Order: sequence, then C-alpha cells, then structure tokens
Amino acid sequence: MATAAMSIKRRPSALAALILLSCVLVLAILVSTSVGAVHVSLAEVLRTLLHPKEATESGVIVFSLRLPRVLAAALAGAGLAATGVLFQGLFRNPLADPFVLGASGGAALGGAMAVFLFPTVSFFGVGASALLAFAGALLTMVVVWTLAGSRSRSTIENMLLAGFAVGTMLNAGTSAFELRQEATNPGARILASWLYGQIGIPPWIQLAVAMTLMVAGIAVAMPLARSLNTLALGEEYAAQLGVKVGRVRAEVLIIGSLLTALAVSLGGLIGFVGLLVPHFLRIVLGPDHFRLLPVAAVGGAAFLVIADTVARTLIAPTELPVGILTAFIGGPAFLYLLNRRKGAA
Amino acid sequence: MSAILEAQRIDFAYGSRTVFERMSFSVEPGSMTAVLGANGMGKTTLLNMVAGLLRPSNGRVLVDGRSVLDWPRRELSRFVALVPQHLEVPFSFQVEEIVSQGRVPYAGRFGGLSPEDRRQVEEAMRAVDVLRLRDRVYSELSGGEKQRVKIAIAVAQQPKLMLLDEPTQHLDIGRQVEIVRLLRSLNEQGITILAAIHDLAIVKENFRKSILLLDKACVMGTTVEVMRPELIEQAFAIPQSELPAFDDMAFTTPESSRLQRDCRRKRPRSKTSK
Repeated sequence: MATAAMSIKRRPSALAALILLSCVLVLAILVSTSVGAVHVSLAEVLRTLLHPKEATESGVIVFSLRLPRVLAAALAGAGLAATGVLFQGLFRNPLADPFVLGASGGAALGGAMAVFLFPTVSFFGVGASALLAFAGALLTMVVVWTLAGSRSRSTIENMLLAGFAVGTMLNAGTSAFELRQEATNPGARILASWLYGQIGIPPWIQLAVAMTLMVAGIAVAMPLARSLNTLALGEEYAAQLGVKVGRVRAEVLIIGSLLTALAVSLGGLIGFVGLLVPHFLRIVLGPDHFRLLPVAAVGGAAFLVIADTVARTLIAPTELPVGILTAFIGGPAFLYLLNRRKGAA
Repeated sequence: MSAILEAQRIDFAYGSRTVFERMSFSVEPGSMTAVLGANGMGKTTLLNMVAGLLRPSNGRVLVDGRSVLDWPRRELSRFVALVPQHLEVPFSFQVEEIVSQGRVPYAGRFGGLSPEDRRQVEEAMRAVDVLRLRDRVYSELSGGEKQRVKIAIAVAQQPKLMLLDEPTQHLDIGRQVEIVRLLRSLNEQGITILAAIHDLAIVKENFRKSILLLDKACVMGTTVEVMRPELIEQAFAIPQSELPAFDDMAFTTPESSRLQRDCRRKRPRSKTSK
C-alpha cells in the first residue's frame, strides 16, 4: 500500500494501525454478537457463522437480530469517522464533526420527510429516505460552508455557531415530523430512534448497499485526502500548487454527505464519533489525511461497535441509545479540544 | 535578452478601488528584483497576479513569453513559485510533510511521491538549511524557521521564477541577513527572484533592480535610480529630511534620466543597466 511510502520518521506505520484495528473490529463484532438478553457463546457465534444453513435458535438470533445491528453500528461508525477526517481537512479544524456541523441533522430531517411523505418507496433497500437523507446532508453542508467555511469568515466561532443554528433547526424539524406520526406508526418509531441515536436492525439488503457505497465513497476520497494535506496550507496556497480547490471542496462535501446520510439512516443522530476517532488517531499517526482516512474508517467502526455493545448492556434490560453514550464521552472531549485551541490561538 | 516576466498595460481593481492602471514592467531572467511601495499600493496583488491567482481586468502578464492565463496550472506551478507572507498550518504537520507539498505540481494522478520527489524534498530542505528541522511540527517553529520552511516549499517546486512577499518582515536583523543571503544563493543558482521588501537598506545592498509602486503605476530601473529621494518621498509620503540613514546612498546618478519614469507610458524596453 502506498501509505507505507508516505510514512514519516518517528510515526508508526498506518498499515500496521489498519491491520491492528481490523483485528479489533472483527473481535468486537464477534463479542458484540454474543452479548445480549439471550447469551450466545462465542463458540456458538462462530459455529453459526460458519454453518449459516443450519436453522438453530441461536442462528435466528445471530442472523436476524444481532449481526445486522452489529454491522449497522460498524458501518455507521466507519461513515462518521471518515466524514470527520474529510470535513476536518476541508474546514482546517479538528472540531468539524458531521454532527457538530449539522450534516447529521440535515440527513435526519431529509430522511424524516421521506418517512412521512413516501413511506413505501424503496428499491434494493435504498429507500426514498436514504436519498432524501443524502440531499438533506448535502444541502446543510453547502449552507454551513457558505456561512462559515469560506476564507473570509472561517473562524471556529462561525463554524460552530452556523452548525449549531442549522443543526438545531433541522432537529426541531425532525421532531415536528415525529409528532405528526401516529405513535403506533412504524415511521414514528424510526424517527424517534433516529433522534436518540439508536442503532436499528436493518434488512440485509440495506446493509449490503450501505457497505458498497461506503467502501466506494472512501476509495474515491483517498486522492482527495492527499489534496486536503495541501489545502492545510490554505486555499490560495493549494491553488498556487495546482490543486483544483473548488472541485476538491465539492467532492469532499458530496462524499462526506453521502457517508453521513448512510450513517444516519443506520443509526440516527450519533454525535462526536467523527471527532473522537480522528482526534486520537491523529495523535498516534500524525495529521496526514491520506494515512488517517482508511484507519479512521476502521477505527470508527470498531469504536461504535464497542460503544453500542456497552450501551446495550450497561443498564440491561433497558437498551441505552448509543447516541446518548457517545454524547457523554464526546461532549467533554469536544470541550477539552475547544479550550485547548482557544488557549493556543 | 527576452524578459522572463512582463506585465503589459495591466489594469486591476478591488471593486471600485483601482490598484493598477495600464501598468507595464518587465523582469530579466536571472535578475534579483525588489518590489517597493507603501502599504496598500499592491505589492501582494502584483505577486498574486504573476502567480496566476488573480487576473488583470485588462492587459496581460507574460511569464516566459506566454500569458499566465494560457499556462496549464500545474506547469505554471513548476515555473513560478510564490512564497506568501503568512503561512499558518492547522494540525501538527511536520516540516518534511509541509515541504513535500512543493512536489504537488509534479505528482502523478493519485498524488503519491516518487523517489525522485523525495530526493528533491530533501535537497530543498538542505538548500534552505531546514534539514535538521524535518521532524519538527511546523506550527511550533520560530518566525525565522517558518520563513525558511516556506522558501523550502518553493525550492521544492524547482521554479525558474521565485516570488516572495515580504520575506524579511517580522524577523530579527540576524535572521533577515540569513534570508537575504539565502535568496542571493538561490539567485546565483539561476532562479530569478522578485521580492516585495519594505527595508530599503536591504534592497539597496542586495537587489540590483527595483520596481517602485506609486499610485496605480510604477517606476522601474536599477535600484540606485529608483531610490531617488523625490521618488521615495512620493511613494511613501515622507519628507526627504525624515528619511532615515540614506545619506550614504548615491541618490543622484547620471543614469537617472534614462529611468522609466512612468510605466503607464508605452515605451520600448529601456536600457536601464549601467
């Protein structure tokens, strides 16, 4: 992999980090699948996975309940962390998380509109809700970028305030849709779980489509990640070095919105994953976005699987939405980062 | 000798504020030319225009005989390097990672660095004497060190023409001398230098040619010719009597009649060298 050639002295290899975190991810998926109201031992999980045809009771639990949810958590975590790396590079700011910027809120509102207006439209697991979620995230990011990202106005305050205002408005919109739904309507339950950041149990087809789009999105973003390193010198400097700044910005916003929409349609509003995971990996690997992006995706997946397992078992039998847990971990981390940056500035 | 850089009757304005009006000048290859002028006269604008970041509303900027706007962007980035006045970098990027960005105009489709690119980055860091800083975090460097790293990025671009915006500003006298010595050595290696500089003493000592920006126009010639008290007085709005430490300068020169007094006037290239 080309990342090996990019390695800088005294910084660990990104490839090694990728392999290590992949192992953690696989282990976390297996453990998370075995944990729950009905305990399925690790050996049983493995046996079920290796012989999917055998219809056992644990097979039903694993394949229809546990595994889809665990994989949904993994994909949502990967999408949010990768988006965090991309948006932080674009805004040149480590606080640029898809939740903080309002992209998640835009995706949720778009998805909510679809659940309300076209509840039955769906092809191959890609419902109208996924498409409108993407549109909502993209529209939000264009607005937030226009308010806070352009060179003349790019300050932390502007970025946070724009994200806060837009995000609050969007979340209120989603809440309004939730109220309009009959409480017994499945749409209302979907919306409520989105607002709390509750990982759902998606159909396998949706998982497959989300996984394909996510891998493709991150692959397309890899050359962009290199351009983000140049953009760290500033837009004008990057332009002087031959980077097509407008095009890179558009592509980053589109791919980031796509990844955010995929994550939101799987788990709703889960905050700070896109902030925590890139931040800690940046401490270990350095700020090179090209090295960071794939590692953050795998790391984000492992992080959210573990966090969701904890959320589900912490106060069992009640399941805590993982969004609440990440808010409790991420909020203080966010404040710490904000304070440190102010001190430095 | 044909000019490496030529501005032909360029107009430029920020909104309603006219900066240049039918301004012309030229820079010879291999020369070391200073851009002088009061704040707001357009020194940075001029450099940005040559680097292709701003376009004149009228007129042309020719680099190596070709209009800047006709150059493919990446090719221009290999020919002209601009060292901006300020460079602040977020995150803890190290010096080597920063200098590597100078190779972006040479990168392949997927942007990776070739062994040749790595060699050039190392050469650039050695030439500018920041090799020992390669693992240091850029944002933690001193002003003088940052200035050298910025120049190293430009050296890594392997340009024929290097533009520098106030490279000695905010540096102590020792670091200023070091930077100027560095520019001279780069110039001796064949890089044409065009630098906006405030310190007239530095210009007088080191730059043989100067372009003095006056209101919307310019005066160009050898530094000695350009630094005549009446021109300096006009350009910086300061009475001659209050000019510091210029007594030793040869202000009057028989050549001064040949000075290209107003760049707006279209004239054949004047022979300004002695």
